Amino acid sequence: MLPTGILPVPPFATARMLALDLVINGLIIGVFYALMAIGLSLIFGILKIVNFAHGEFYMVGAYTYTLIALAFGVPPWLALPTAFVAGVVLGLVVERLLMRPLYSGYISWGFLRDEYAVIVTFGLSLLLINLVDKVIGPYAYKGPPLTSVSRISLGPVIVSGHRLVAFAIAVAVIVIVALVVRYSYWGRQIQAVAQNRLGASLAGIDTAKVSAFVFALAGGLAALSGGLLANIFNPTPDVGIFPAVKSYVIVVLGGMGSIPGSIIASLGLGVLESFGGVYISYQYRDTFGLILLILVLLFRPQGLFGERVREV
Amino acid sequence: MGPVSILKYFGCAALAVAAGLFAGGGAVAQEPIKIGLTVTLSPPGSVSQGVQVRDGAEVAVKMINDAGGVLGRPLELIVEDTQGIPEKARAAVEKLITRDKVIAVTGEHQSSAALAGIEVAHRYNVPYVNTNGWSDVIREKGYPQVFNPGNFNSRVAIAAAETIAAMGAKNVLAFPENTDYGVGLAKLIGDVLKEKAPDVEYRYETLDRAAKDFLPALLPLKANPPDVIVEIMLPPAAYILINQLYEQGIAPTSKTLIYDASGIADYPDFWQNVSDSAKYMLVFGLYHPKMQLPELGRQVAEAYTAKTGFEPNRLLFQAADSVFLIAEAIKIAGSTDPDAMIKALEGIKWTGARGEITFSTEKGGYKYHQWLDVPYVTFQITDVNQPVKDTKLVQEAGQPIDLSLIERPN
Repeated sequence: MLPTGILPVPPFATARMLALDLVINGLIIGVFYALMAIGLSLIFGILKIVNFAHGEFYMVGAYTYTLIALAFGVPPWLALPTAFVAGVVLGLVVERLLMRPLYSGYISWGFLRDEYAVIVTFGLSLLLINLVDKVIGPYAYKGPPLTSVSRISLGPVIVSGHRLVAFAIAVAVIVIVALVVRYSYWGRQIQAVAQNRLGASLAGIDTAKVSAFVFALAGGLAALSGGLLANIFNPTPDVGIFPAVKSYVIVVLGGMGSIPGSIIASLGLGVLESFGGVYISYQYRDTFGLILLILVLLFRPQGLFGERVREV
Repeated sequence: MGPVSILKYFGCAALAVAAGLFAGGGAVAQEPIKIGLTVTLSPPGSVSQGVQVRDGAEVAVKMINDAGGVLGRPLELIVEDTQGIPEKARAAVEKLITRDKVIAVTGEHQSSAALAGIEVAHRYNVPYVNTNGWSDVIREKGYPQVFNPGNFNSRVAIAAAETIAAMGAKNVLAFPENTDYGVGLAKLIGDVLKEKAPDVEYRYETLDRAAKDFLPALLPLKANPPDVIVEIMLPPAAYILINQLYEQGIAPTSKTLIYDASGIADYPDFWQNVSDSAKYMLVFGLYHPKMQLPELGRQVAEAYTAKTGFEPNRLLFQAADSVFLIAEAIKIAGSTDPDAMIKALEGIKWTGARGEITFSTEKGGYKYHQWLDVPYVTFQITDVNQPVKDTKLVQEAGQPIDLSLIERPN
């Protein structure tokens, strides 16, 4: 009997095939991480807070997609936008009711601002998890697939049909979001508020509207991610914890508030976890990102693509 | 004070005493016997299991109370959620014993939580009926308060090893979850295989029960798939694992079959979460509708279906038996005195929902206070969305496996 945690080392030809498999699957999972992390990064960029309920937006999207499709017989391709809309609506409600105090009295908050954000978002996370647990129930629900093709061969690599379709949608959405933030009217306003909230408001930008837009967009992206992965990661009330933790690591790795940084860190983490899980140990898979995080914090605390900030 | 006043005084006093006596007498007669139930009702533990155990225990309590209770007193179930976390299980048992004053604790269905809970029950000398903690270590502790009417890892290990050996498998991989139950069972299967089929190459890879993506552990198997993959996980992680094995074309195939050592195929949410990937899976089953049940088992099954709308499953019977055993122990002991109840359980010979239950008193191993003759079968799922009653029995209780019945994909 071989000891636990050690898989046999494959021969060279097989190793090359395995490496290809690991790269492709690592990139796919990395794109899913990115979809979550971008929203978190945007919120940090605008509000300078970490949203600890971000995973629950993912959970809401996963349940919305699954239950609408299963309970009402709505085709999955229609259920998916509904998940996005659910995330947007939840984002708007949370921003208006819970986040608005953070910047409506912007100057007077002082040091209590961060404590408020931590407590409120943690509380919201616990509330949503327990609400779904009691209302919908604790059982897992597998979402319907977006395609009836169960497996697709990409050369020697086999990928599930749903995983590949979800990947393509996620890539398209990430590109659109990146273009919107970079070039659109709203995107420029987001950049301005992220750089200097007070300065942006003096220049006539409605910073409250921008914050609401960002929260809605972040909620929608996380919920869309949940919907896309509902067929792969069978939603349960705590399903958002796993992607949220990954997102926190990614946002710090990539640089707080940096979208390109988040995307590159996501893809890198996905591939690193794939290779590390095979060639080091699957059991320590989740620690690779954390080790990388410690190294980045030690040697480049602003993250891979973040900028040093001087405060006076 | 005049004579009328004295009469009034004594009259009022007599009424008050009488009222007190009747009220007090009634309260004594109706005072419930409290039983503690520790289950997982929220993640990260297996909520699927916890809900089934809770429902099964409630069915048994209702049946007992409808029949007049125990020693003229009704049973009251006090439920605590442990989340499957050992520290919470320890705190839950502590609370049940010290604050709620339960006379026995039962319900635990996850080994890590049971191992924490029995320490408290042992310290307070309170009977602890372990409903479904499979880890042998629970028995090896040798605590006189702990009784095990459920299944145990050694039994599954022997069943799995015999099936693997009979199938002629040469290369076997187990995926246990990272718990006392999972890792303990994976090691035991290896130990038994060494004896029964020394030529089999066996290894295991521990998976995190809270993880969602198992592909890095599965992709290396594509080049050299094993003959049998032994799944030792609980839902929802077990469902995700089975689905990802199927997605990657690793199992089921003409070469590789999945052996479910956790017996998850009769869970109410099973088919909602697995679909095509569970076809051809071999399942270690502690209950199958084709098994012969005692009269009590049939009554429990009917009451459960009426209560929940679900088909019966093995956890229901185990939970019901756990509660019935506590009730029987009280009856035999004639009181809720813990020492008398423990003595009663040690000598019990009682036909429950699954068969005649007795507890071994052989010390120094997994047999201590264990019902050794827990019946089991092996069945194969031969179609998608197949109810357990329609699955193919490839090994009946107490019989060797019939390999000719096993189907494989083309």
